[in-house]
Amino acid sequence: MPEISKMKKPDVKVVILGDMNVGKTSLLHRYTERKFRDTISTVGGAFYLKQWGPYNISIWDTAGREQFHGLGSMYCRGAAAVILTYDVTSWQSLAELEERFLSLTDTANHDCIYAIVGNKADLTDPRAQLPADPQSPAEGGEPGTGPRVPSACPTPPASPLSPGSPPQQVGREEAAALYGRVLRYKGLDEGSSLPADRMCFETSARTGYNVDLLFETLFDLVLPSILRKRTENQRSPTVDLEDYCEPPGRRRGCC
Amino acid sequence: MLNALPCSYWDGNMERDYPQKEGAEELNICDQPTEGPGAYADTLATSLSLLGSHMFPYHGEVVDRDVKTSVSTEDPVETLLPDPTAVERTSTLEAELSQKADTESQESEDIGLSAQSDEVVLAEASVNNGKDSSGEFVVALLAGSKLEEHCVGTEGTSSVLSESIAEEAPPLSHRDEDVTAESWRQHRKHVFVLSEAGKPIYSRYGSEEALSSTMGVMMALVSFVQSGDNMIRSVYSEERTVVFVQKGPLVLVCVANSRQSEQQLRDELLYVYYQIISMLTQASITRIFEHKKNYDLRRLLAGSEKILDGLLDLVDWDPSFLLAAVHCLPLPSSLRDSLSQILQKAITPNLVFSILIAKKQLVTIVQEKTVIEDARLEPADVHLLLNLIGASSAFQAGEIWTPICLPLFNPDCYFYAYISYLDPPECTVCLLLLSTDKEAFYAVAECKRRIEEAMVAQNSLSLIEKAQSYSVSQVGVSDLRHFMYKPFDVPDNHRQLTQFTSPEMEAPYSSAEEKMRLLDLYRYMHSRIHSSSRPLKLIYHVAERETLLAWVTSKFELYTCFSPLVTKACAITAITKLLRWLKKEEDRLFIRYPPKYSTTPNPSKSSRKSEQQDSTDNGFMSLL
Ligand SMILES: Nc1nc2c(ncn2[C@@H]2O[C@H](COP(=O)(O)OP(=O)(O)OP(=O)(O)O)[C@@H](O)[C@H]2O)c(=O)[nH]1
Ligand SMILES: [Mg+2]
Repeated sequence: MPEISKMKKPDVKVVILGDMNVGKTSLLHRYTERKFRDTISTVGGAFYLKQWGPYNISIWDTAGREQFHGLGSMYCRGAAAVILTYDVTSWQSLAELEERFLSLTDTANHDCIYAIVGNKADLTDPRAQLPADPQSPAEGGEPGTGPRVPSACPTPPASPLSPGSPPQQVGREEAAALYGRVLRYKGLDEGSSLPADRMCFETSARTGYNVDLLFETLFDLVLPSILRKRTENQRSPTVDLEDYCEPPGRRRGCC
Repeated sequence: MLNALPCSYWDGNMERDYPQKEGAEELNICDQPTEGPGAYADTLATSLSLLGSHMFPYHGEVVDRDVKTSVSTEDPVETLLPDPTAVERTSTLEAELSQKADTESQESEDIGLSAQSDEVVLAEASVNNGKDSSGEFVVALLAGSKLEEHCVGTEGTSSVLSESIAEEAPPLSHRDEDVTAESWRQHRKHVFVLSEAGKPIYSRYGSEEALSSTMGVMMALVSFVQSGDNMIRSVYSEERTVVFVQKGPLVLVCVANSRQSEQQLRDELLYVYYQIISMLTQASITRIFEHKKNYDLRRLLAGSEKILDGLLDLVDWDPSFLLAAVHCLPLPSSLRDSLSQILQKAITPNLVFSILIAKKQLVTIVQEKTVIEDARLEPADVHLLLNLIGASSAFQAGEIWTPICLPLFNPDCYFYAYISYLDPPECTVCLLLLSTDKEAFYAVAECKRRIEEAMVAQNSLSLIEKAQSYSVSQVGVSDLRHFMYKPFDVPDNHRQLTQFTSPEMEAPYSSAEEKMRLLDLYRYMHSRIHSSSRPLKLIYHVAERETLLAWVTSKFELYTCFSPLVTKACAITAITKLLRWLKKEEDRLFIRYPPKYSTTPNPSKSSRKSEQQDSTDNGFMSLL
């Protein structure tokens, strides 16, 4: 407890966006608590501080519900990385990223990096069904309210947005295509940006599949952004840098 | 024609087992400006002796069965005429009851009898009520399986209603309930929310989709009645009460067999309405439906079902809602004061409320000075906040930042709530900071760190951890099993938040069933005390397994539960002792001197009903 009361200034901000029920909270929970358990739909946004080596990374887990749409741009202000999350069993959730969430990132840093994350891969990919972390096998048994989908249905539907039809799988190509469109929306050059195959992930919060990979890749990628911010801060002496000299913490584990 | 017969007949439903003359005696009690607990007890003693020796039967199933038969067979017009023989029967019954009240089977038989005789009283009362409630009416409806045969009302209405029960959509897995199953119908209390256009918005059990035809029918009923410039308020059947509340473009319906009064159910529906407002604001709901009459509000409320489910569970289990008062965690007043001071010191512009909660009970509330001068925080708003916290419990280290509207404070604008637990991983001590500034998260989070630091320095967390609900045994009265005490005015501060205190429910009320039974008894006593047609000041109620005494004065409202063997004299002594004990402990049991921020930098832009707030825009309006 006292540890928390210690002042920790976040060095960098990571925001998780995506439609409700895609598993944003579950992903973060899996990463920080090494567990999968029943969640409650997030209200507003929840702020977490993660120690990453000598750095403090703030993570905003936002609510996907339309009710909280307006707050998104506030959470995204100054973000160094945005995780755009969809549910691999729901075309709609991928479409929503473009329709509803992409514009929220307008307030993010201009050098913000974007990851496209298809969660619930355990429902479509046999590889994602194995527990990634043998010490903490998947908990909670059956997926809660997540839509159940026959695991063999690889053909992408003709129309991704047909309303009322049962949820259908989203392939990696669709995610990569979306990544391209995100870069274009941001006015970024595909050649000089991080490639889609590095920035598109399929994860499972339930089994832990690719979850550490996702967060750790992103954290490593935002390091330059942290360093740049610190140099800027050193020029303005008013800013508190007290935790600058903290010894590096463990790279992972409880914080 | 619809409003003439059945409604007046049923209006006094809750009154039927109480002979009129007792009511008269009950009414002239109290309200003397007496001092101190002793004086109150004197009044009580006099009052009780006035009541004589008869007991109050609890109206149970039996009563209703009997009434049911009479409803479906007798002509209501006839029952409106007083029947002298029935009155006689009532008085002999009283004598009998007072002799044999302890014989269970005997009692229920007698109540059965009384049900018939009391109908006279009921009918008389209804005649009076009919005048007050012109323009509003109650339709008698015999719901459930017998609906088709027994439905009383106009032909149009009854046929529509039969469909509602008979024809249901196929079950959906989504909310895990087969709405066609008998178990679904047997729920103690259903709650539905629909839009004026008849679109389903929320159902407590079963999915809204599966129930859309039922909700459509409810709406048909509502609008059918509205077309005659009337408001539908409630429908009674043999075992259920259906209550309708319309608030703006929303219609809320409750179908309950909990035997609560119509007013209580109405109040519960209002809590549901307010919880919806707390998420969306009244102004935006109005705007949405002005914009598009058949908007599907579930789009905006999706994900909030658990908050509403949680609220309805709380309403059933937590008497705070019934009493419209807040339950504080008992704490030494010195500790409470020092915690208040900690909160008072950690402020930032636009922070208007700092609330500390432990073990789901209030520890202290600090309000910005201009705000408290302007308006006070209503218990209902605190209840909604507590429910929100319960339903949104993020995991441990997270700090939540979310818009929330306090509907009684101002139904049209948002506050931004910072919610964080101070004692992870236990998560029993929760800090809630409310700001009017959407962007203030980091400043407010900084306040939390200061509060946390000060609490560490003073070791407050472990002191709070020691605080506990108390046991009724601490009062030291052997026959007293439980009580709820709600003082109306804490001296020195008339703007105080209404509070109540109550001990832990202990044996014999340890199991869920027994707890609910006691709560039901309290609800029953409460409905009698607050009956709109015949409010009472004092009720001494001998039930099968306990004896209850409810008493309301200008200074407090008190509900007590005794072992069944208690005598009236004992009960009076017990209450004297209890009041004395409460007086002695009040500094610990209540927030006595609510603290304010002495000065706030930049007093908030927004206070109650301020116009310039960016009232509704939470961003979702742009999506409509
Ligand atoms: N099968 C499976 N189910 C998952 C996975 N991740 C989350 N879920 C389930 O999906 C549902 C929603 O998860 P949340 O983490 O609450 O979703 P969210 O994106 O945070 O939703 P909001 O807070 O409403 O925006 C829950 O019932 C989870 O159990 C996953 O990897 N696999
Ligand atoms: Mg979430």
